[in-house]
Amino acid sequence: MKQSLPLRLLLAVTILFFLLLIGLPFWWVISGSFKLPQEIIAREPTLVPQSFTLQHYAKLLDASAYPTYLVNSLIVGLASSVLTVLLAVPAAYAFFRMELPFREGMYRAILLAYAFPGVIVLIPIYGLFAQLGLVDNLLALIIVNTTFALPFSIWMMRSFLATIPRDLEEAARMDGAPTPVILRRILVPLILPGVAAVGVFAFISSWTEYLFASVLILSDDKRTVPVGFAGIIGQYQIDWGLLLAGASLAILPVVIIFSLVGRAFVSGLTDGAVK
Amino acid sequence: MTYKTTSSLTLSILLLGSGSALAQTELMLWHMEQPPHRVERVQELLDAFNAAHPDIVVTQEPQNWGEIYAKAPAALAAGNGPDLLFAIPDFAPILKEIGAVQDVGAFVGALDAKHDLLDSAVASYSYDNGVWAVPLYNMAMSLWYHKGAFEAAGLAVPKTWSEWQAATEKLTADGKYGIGLPASKGLYTDQVVYNFMVNNGASELYNADGTFAFDNPKTAESYAMAAALQKFSPPDSAGWFWGDAEACFASGTCASILQFTTITTYETQGGGDAAKLGVAPIPHADGESQHNTIAYANAVMLLSDDPAKRAAFETFISWLLEPANYGRFLNMEPGLFLPVTADGAKADSFWNDPLVQKYKPQIETMIANSANGMLFGFTNGRTFPSIAPISGQNVLSEVLQAVVIDGVDPAAAVAAGQVRMQDIAQ
Repeated sequence: MKQSLPLRLLLAVTILFFLLLIGLPFWWVISGSFKLPQEIIAREPTLVPQSFTLQHYAKLLDASAYPTYLVNSLIVGLASSVLTVLLAVPAAYAFFRMELPFREGMYRAILLAYAFPGVIVLIPIYGLFAQLGLVDNLLALIIVNTTFALPFSIWMMRSFLATIPRDLEEAARMDGAPTPVILRRILVPLILPGVAAVGVFAFISSWTEYLFASVLILSDDKRTVPVGFAGIIGQYQIDWGLLLAGASLAILPVVIIFSLVGRAFVSGLTDGAVK
Repeated sequence: MTYKTTSSLTLSILLLGSGSALAQTELMLWHMEQPPHRVERVQELLDAFNAAHPDIVVTQEPQNWGEIYAKAPAALAAGNGPDLLFAIPDFAPILKEIGAVQDVGAFVGALDAKHDLLDSAVASYSYDNGVWAVPLYNMAMSLWYHKGAFEAAGLAVPKTWSEWQAATEKLTADGKYGIGLPASKGLYTDQVVYNFMVNNGASELYNADGTFAFDNPKTAESYAMAAALQKFSPPDSAGWFWGDAEACFASGTCASILQFTTITTYETQGGGDAAKLGVAPIPHADGESQHNTIAYANAVMLLSDDPAKRAAFETFISWLLEPANYGRFLNMEPGLFLPVTADGAKADSFWNDPLVQKYKPQIETMIANSANGMLFGFTNGRTFPSIAPISGQNVLSEVLQAVVIDGVDPAAAVAAGQVRMQDIAQ
């Protein structure tokens, strides 16, 4: 259907407005990270940088443990993401297809768990992990992040599985395929966008998680980006250049992952939402 | 040499080696000085200490002030807490309440005899028949100002509130602000507000019997004055913390601020002309005669009851407070951390730092201002455990927010603030 010129103009202006609304803060942070300190805090802020320096990045990467924090975050994020996918897919299948007692009740209980604020279970989890010797261990963060990402992931995967015709499974079953094979060979390839969506969701949740990372990790060399970076910035005196450089680098892995699987993520969300 | 002899010799060396390793006392230090240059300086000192004391190994794990209030008790309860932990006065009672802190009174007495510790620094950790931390460095607020702005307006540095208000009003023009005062809910605003209280005879939050003394006319006057000056601050100052005020000052937008220091930021981001950076005592109310300020000492607590660790702790802290080492410790953030010992205030290791030399007059004024330092909840030797949650919930800044943002009458806001304190204390 061909759109009229005024409508297209309106759409273009609307898109431009939202592009600026969303993009300007990013531009402000990224461009600011290349400005000299005096320009960053200048009385009249500059939208286009009047100076250029890499000193903030040099300081961040050379004089702080930021690279270590980045590596830790990547380990925790990727491991949480993989583990979440590995658990969410069979769990969602079980909730969707298998005849389990109290299936609907359990399904709703899982979503209820998603509604719990993490801070409520912080102390019990700390005590539990201390007994297991997992305090100050990245594995603790992987377990916690996976636990908190799973309920929404299962819900999303289940909605996604609902879009696949049952006939496909029955045909495979008639050919003698057991359930794990059906899941691996038939269903998973068909719900790859959903798998990608769950993976990205789990990764971003893990990448930005602060509360548990701040309490469960004690050593500086095991900190993740949000916690380690908060310490680098300082309390009484803020190095604004360092802050902006660190914030710019922190979003980079997320941007890269989105650029690789972003399309699948969006289609995963929308396909799963509409049966 | 036969195989047997060689084996015996090797075994002996290994046993000797393991014996000396077993005799080593390990101390884990948690501190909240996380910026990289501070961590680096602490590590330099630890390396020097460990090299000079082969029987002791001190290691550091920097932590964040934002989490330490929850993290330290949890870690101690789980048995993986540190042996040494830095503290500020309102943090120490929390750990003392759970029985984690050791009394270091005798050790502090010995240090006092040797180095002459600042009395107010020791006092804020002395209660319940003990001294619960060794003071390490002091912080005190001052009035920081741009000399050029005051000279251009023909103003002298204010000494009284009436002079202060007039100067602030005159300096607020052409997109610049006479002062940058916060009105956020947070520790910075708590500290700034208390500066008004201590300069108007309203320093006491508690009566001697533990009831609250906050609700009184002097406190209300102090809030009224803070709110009056806040009108001459930038519009976003209601959400400020320390760094925002410093940025406003370093950029020249604010002619003055109340801050512990601005030296590092002024040096790196504000031009760094030492001759133009002014620092003065905080003005007092017209009826008062002495300039006071908020000040508090950061200290180190001993959390282990192991006698060997206590001995190692005393060796380490004694070494750190030696004038030859102490200045290097203080200058992990030059111009922010002030000495708590008399000999430390004269130490070459302190004054020889290039930045300290450059801003020597300012730092001398900071040290002089700190002599009249007080901290809410820790005055006159009266310390009550409820100060920790009251400070943690930022009641002082809540009251200022009520006055500045909600327009509540200062006397009514102060009365409500006292009720809030009573609720928290219960």
